[in-house]
Amino acid sequence: MTTATTPHVDDGKHEQGHDHAEEKGPFSWVATVDHKRIGILYLLTSIVFFGIGGIEALLIRIQLAHPESHFLDPETFNQIFTMHGTTMIFLVVMPTLVGFANYFVPLMIGARDMAFPRLNAMSYWLFPLGGALLHFSLFAGGAPSAGWFSYAPLAETPFSSNTGTDYWILALLVLGIGSVAGAINIIATVITLRAPGMTIRRVPLFVWMTFITAILIVLALPVLNGALVMLLIDRQLDAHFFQAHGGGSVILWQHYFWTFGHPEVYILALPAFGMISEVIPVFSRKPIFGYEFVAGSTVAIAVLSFGVWAHHMFAAGLGHRADIAFAAGTMLIAIPTGVKIFNWIATMWGGTLRFTTSMCFAVAFLIEFVIGGLSGITFAAAPVDWQMTDTYYVVAHFHYVALGGTLFGILAATYYWFPKMSGKLLDERLGKLNFWTMIIGFNMTFFVQHFLGILGMPRRVYTYPDLPNWGTLNMVSTIGAFVMGFSVLLFLVNIAKSVRNGKAAGDNPWDAWTLEWATTSPPHPHNFEKVPPVRGRRPLWDLANATKEGKNKRKSGGTSTILEIAPYDKAIVGVWAFIASEAMFFIILILTFVYFNLSTKAAAASLDVKTTGMFSICLFASSFTLHRSEKALAAGNESGFRGWLIFTILLGAVFMFGQASEYQKLFTSGLSVNTSLFTSTFFTLTGFHGLHVTLGLCALGVILWLAFAGDFKGRRHSSAFKAIGLYWHFVDIVWIAVFGIVYVRNVL
Amino acid sequence: MTTGELLLTAWQSDVFVYAVAAAGVVAYAARMQWKLTLRALWLALAAAVFLLAFVSPIGVLARGYLFSAHMLQHLLLVLVIPPLVLSALRTGSKEAPNSTGAPGAAGTAGTAGAPGARRFVLPWLAGVSAMWLWHAPTLCDAASNSIGVQRLQTVSLLIMGCAFFWPIVGPRTARRLPPFGAMVYLFAACVACTLLGILVTFSPVEVCSIYAHPVDGLGAMPLLRDGWGLTAKADQEIGGLLMWVPGCFAYAGGMLAMFARYHREEAADELAAKEAA
Repeated sequence: MTTATTPHVDDGKHEQGHDHAEEKGPFSWVATVDHKRIGILYLLTSIVFFGIGGIEALLIRIQLAHPESHFLDPETFNQIFTMHGTTMIFLVVMPTLVGFANYFVPLMIGARDMAFPRLNAMSYWLFPLGGALLHFSLFAGGAPSAGWFSYAPLAETPFSSNTGTDYWILALLVLGIGSVAGAINIIATVITLRAPGMTIRRVPLFVWMTFITAILIVLALPVLNGALVMLLIDRQLDAHFFQAHGGGSVILWQHYFWTFGHPEVYILALPAFGMISEVIPVFSRKPIFGYEFVAGSTVAIAVLSFGVWAHHMFAAGLGHRADIAFAAGTMLIAIPTGVKIFNWIATMWGGTLRFTTSMCFAVAFLIEFVIGGLSGITFAAAPVDWQMTDTYYVVAHFHYVALGGTLFGILAATYYWFPKMSGKLLDERLGKLNFWTMIIGFNMTFFVQHFLGILGMPRRVYTYPDLPNWGTLNMVSTIGAFVMGFSVLLFLVNIAKSVRNGKAAGDNPWDAWTLEWATTSPPHPHNFEKVPPVRGRRPLWDLANATKEGKNKRKSGGTSTILEIAPYDKAIVGVWAFIASEAMFFIILILTFVYFNLSTKAAAASLDVKTTGMFSICLFASSFTLHRSEKALAAGNESGFRGWLIFTILLGAVFMFGQASEYQKLFTSGLSVNTSLFTSTFFTLTGFHGLHVTLGLCALGVILWLAFAGDFKGRRHSSAFKAIGLYWHFVDIVWIAVFGIVYVRNVL
Repeated sequence: MTTGELLLTAWQSDVFVYAVAAAGVVAYAARMQWKLTLRALWLALAAAVFLLAFVSPIGVLARGYLFSAHMLQHLLLVLVIPPLVLSALRTGSKEAPNSTGAPGAAGTAGTAGAPGARRFVLPWLAGVSAMWLWHAPTLCDAASNSIGVQRLQTVSLLIMGCAFFWPIVGPRTARRLPPFGAMVYLFAACVACTLLGILVTFSPVEVCSIYAHPVDGLGAMPLLRDGWGLTAKADQEIGGLLMWVPGCFAYAGGMLAMFARYHREEAADELAAKEAA
């Protein structure tokens, strides 16, 4: 059995090409590409932003503690709740989940590192950069104040004239790019780096759910990025995508935002589901009940999450028909989520429960998340939504999901995995105190907000009149918030104390069965001395029982039961995920073009279809020449490879020249991005396509340079070249769509 | 006219439809060498749905009255009937596990890429263009104005639908996409059809002008417009939403079925590996 595992470990060593010798000193943390250190960096940075977002939350609660308060003025209040929402979602919860994924996904699948360690480091460093951009707005004239979803037209220049929203856009773009890069990395890691025997059917549920989350990120974030780009063009270049007075559509922003925003809800929830799915079985001493159903319902949630965004817009006036369709879809999502809840309960049923702090938080998760889920279902009924939308009932609902769900999941995971990361156990007594104060504080803060919402208290308003019970309920909520704040302090104290002089954890303090517990705590830089054989979903359990139940059984389970993992090239998998992401980005841009130009033929007058057609042929031909180049390389014909490659680059350059001359002609005839909706959509779409072609040309140029440097000598396959080739073909296919929709349709 | 009357009277007889259904049944029986198995039930179901789509009020309303009925018919032809037909075609021999080759299954994991992109690119395009092409205003109008084009539409939708589902539930199991590949395949198709659904729903342009001003031979228009409250715009919205929401759920259901198939096959492989050891 060892023979089956060692090749894999070796593979890792050679492929990564960097030796994880023990790195020391602060600079080693800055320069690190070790997934565990990057994971810890993610978590530590998240804690800093959690502090900032938490203080913002307390400021909001102080302001709302009693009626007609003037502790904060309205503008500051707007800025604070905007920053609180944005910070907590993009700078705390998402990076925390990515941090855990970074640390544990490779360990749990028996890999040595992520698929692309350097890309991983880049993803991380984009995170503090995004956070810094967002907070720099404070020094540049004021923080953003249009809310975390920045509805148009409020977020447009006439209503948000300071630079806050611009920084908000830039920060989210940077964070979005980092998240997509991180997600691509996770996808490639899970597909290509699993240890022998670790079939998809056997991966721990945390890995599976993180994998599905990564797919959601890859598909959903580009939608936000596309919308952000258009908002930025509105604000900086005076276009009118989302402004009614120029013919744009304010509702379109809501559609785009929630097309991203609803999957985002599951991006925040699914990894927490995964954490719970690890913690509950271990502390119930039972395997998860209905693994297939927990895994399958995750797929169902992910797919459905893209089809229900309009339930955030029931009050926007989409019409009865649309409301009914989306109400039905929304209620459907409750089914796979309910399946999970029942599976977790059934896992605990009849188990030998150990109520460690981790398990306490997991059980609390079940209860609080069900409350948040049920109040969510009440919103699925459009009439209830009309009554409750934009009241504190919504605030209560999503905090029960985001805190009672995700945060409790994260806390359960922290108490569960902290020993692995630090080698020290967290203090259980402080932990229990942390738990109870958190439960009391959380429910005090948010449960009463259900009533406030039903009483009609609007959210996002800086103060409220002295109506019966409003003051009391708000005061209860504020006190609860401070109890929660105290609980968070206890948590931080616990971490600080335990890191310094906590009890030593040992390799496997919980007697758990997934692979991360097979190595030392904390793990070596190279993770495993030897990856244990994987013959089921609980490899360490299998191992322990095999040795217990006699050697004959171990003998009988020879190498033959280790299932081979189909080998996939990580560069190819990575580039496919990237292409999927880019496709979503272009779909948004194309959809916007179609939406605004469907009934007009404004384009016909200004576009020269024939000339652009000629240049387009060059681009299409370049796909063919690139294919010849690949063929030549595979045949070992190096000069052919280089020749076709040069030809490809030339064809691409000719196309770009054609684009530039068309732009030149349009500019001289007085058309620019802010002239009309046609020009806005045209320049945005073709401009971004041109940018992608240019990047493709740069990448091909690098390949050519390497080819002349002799890098491809004697190599008949290069996955890097193939990956860039796929990207190039993709850019061509996008142009087929763009050319057909923008140019040809106008001639017909 | 009341709703009840409409449901009772709006039935039609169409020799062409009977002919297609009969031809399908005969061709199937011939292929199965006139031996009746339980699997033939799938084909019976497919034929029943096909007849329902044309002979019943769905068919009558689809012919020039309601865009939404037309869309429902369309969805039945592309998304419901083809998988039923293909399920009927599967031969019994598939059940033998050794026909798919070595355990450990090439079916394990993985997105697209490797073998035979031809095998799924064309079918995918067929399935997606079945949706898109016939909803281009020009073609949609042509189909509603000429009975010949309409019949061409019906047959082409069935063929393209079968082509689309071939890599998923096609009779030759060895040529099918591996389950995870099939999930990506279905998801991509779902995105493409969702986009069309969105466009149809929110588009200010009439997709098919005949439904804006129907020729009312039945005298059903007052009921549809006033009784059911279906203005031309509402009708098109419902049509778009049908493609968007239930259409998407059909693909999502397919994806879950593929996920279940993966687990079933993998479990069989694990068992086989254990027995081998």
